[in-house]
Amino acid sequence: MPLSGIRDFIARHAIRDVTVYRIDDFNVEPPEVVKTKTRVPTKRLYPQIKISVGNPFDLDKKIPCSAKRYKLLTEQVKSRNQKIKRYVKQDIKTHKITLGKKIKTSSPLKQVQAMPQERGNTLKILKKKPTVANNEMILACYGPIVEGAVEKLVLNKQRGTLLIWYNPGSRHNKAKNVYLIRRLGMGSKPEWRWL
Amino acid sequence: MASQNNSLGYMIIEGSETMIRGAALVTDSKGFPLDFARTEPLRPDHLARILYGESFGKYAKEKLILESLLDAVEIQPQIWICNDSDILAPLKANSKIITVMLEESPHVPLDAVGHIETTAEPGVFMIQVEPNGAPLRAEFSDNTRPDEVQQAAAILSFSAASMNVLEPFTRLGKALNFLATGRS
Repeated sequence: MPLSGIRDFIARHAIRDVTVYRIDDFNVEPPEVVKTKTRVPTKRLYPQIKISVGNPFDLDKKIPCSAKRYKLLTEQVKSRNQKIKRYVKQDIKTHKITLGKKIKTSSPLKQVQAMPQERGNTLKILKKKPTVANNEMILACYGPIVEGAVEKLVLNKQRGTLLIWYNPGSRHNKAKNVYLIRRLGMGSKPEWRWL
Repeated sequence: MASQNNSLGYMIIEGSETMIRGAALVTDSKGFPLDFARTEPLRPDHLARILYGESFGKYAKEKLILESLLDAVEIQPQIWICNDSDILAPLKANSKIITVMLEESPHVPLDAVGHIETTAEPGVFMIQVEPNGAPLRAEFSDNTRPDEVQQAAAILSFSAASMNVLEPFTRLGKALNFLATGRS
């Protein structure tokens, strides 16, 4: 600590005397204040804003707006109601959904009459099988079939069914079963038998 | 409309969501066709399916196809037989004659031809129509009287003596395919 410091310390604590300095020649220049008054040129735009809308009724969607090369936010564009200046008359097509009360019907009866009836082999479910000779075996049973009305019988070998064409003019009604019977032995062919 | 004794009427309505068609066949007791009618396929477009929704199938079957077929058939059968429970009640309501839905059953044969057995299902009976094989499952609509069930069993048993009473359904299906495609 320098000597003046020791003296001040003692004077402050012992004598309670403090040296006060006065500065008389405080000659400092105030800082220069420059007032900045700058005007930024602004330009108002009154452009023809083009609005492209896919569907004019999509009001809830944000509509893209643009003026020349500027893209604008939808919120920035204030819209004014405009009256429709020109009305183009259009014939609006309406599409009526109707499912008619009456459906077109046709009656191709002859084509259906020409179709054969089909009988399956009922041999397995027969309660009473007809008696045949000892050297004969029943292969299949088809029925009931009205024998007197039959015009043609055809065995469908693939499906094992019998196709029946009836004579439409027949008045017979009595039905029987027709059996396919095979005689056991060399060279014998199965034969049809009404029983 | 003329009626013929011992004639059976068969009604089928088949198809899907996009196409429904139907046919009616009246046969004599031998199964020989006496009358036949079929509808043009009904093809609802997508919009119609949206508007009608799930009710479209029911509406098309009951109102459009069934009523058109009943109007087109000229011979009134003694009984209408169908294979679809959806059209059972409307078929009876519109035709005003006995109506039954028939199908095969795995039931053991009943005692005799014409025998009727009740089941646990309301309106469903087992009817032995022929001496061999299982009885048929016969479902009647709610408003069918007991005497109508007896009458149906008698008609079916009489016809089953000379024909297979379920066979015309197969023929009807084949006829519809043949008339639609030209191939049997």
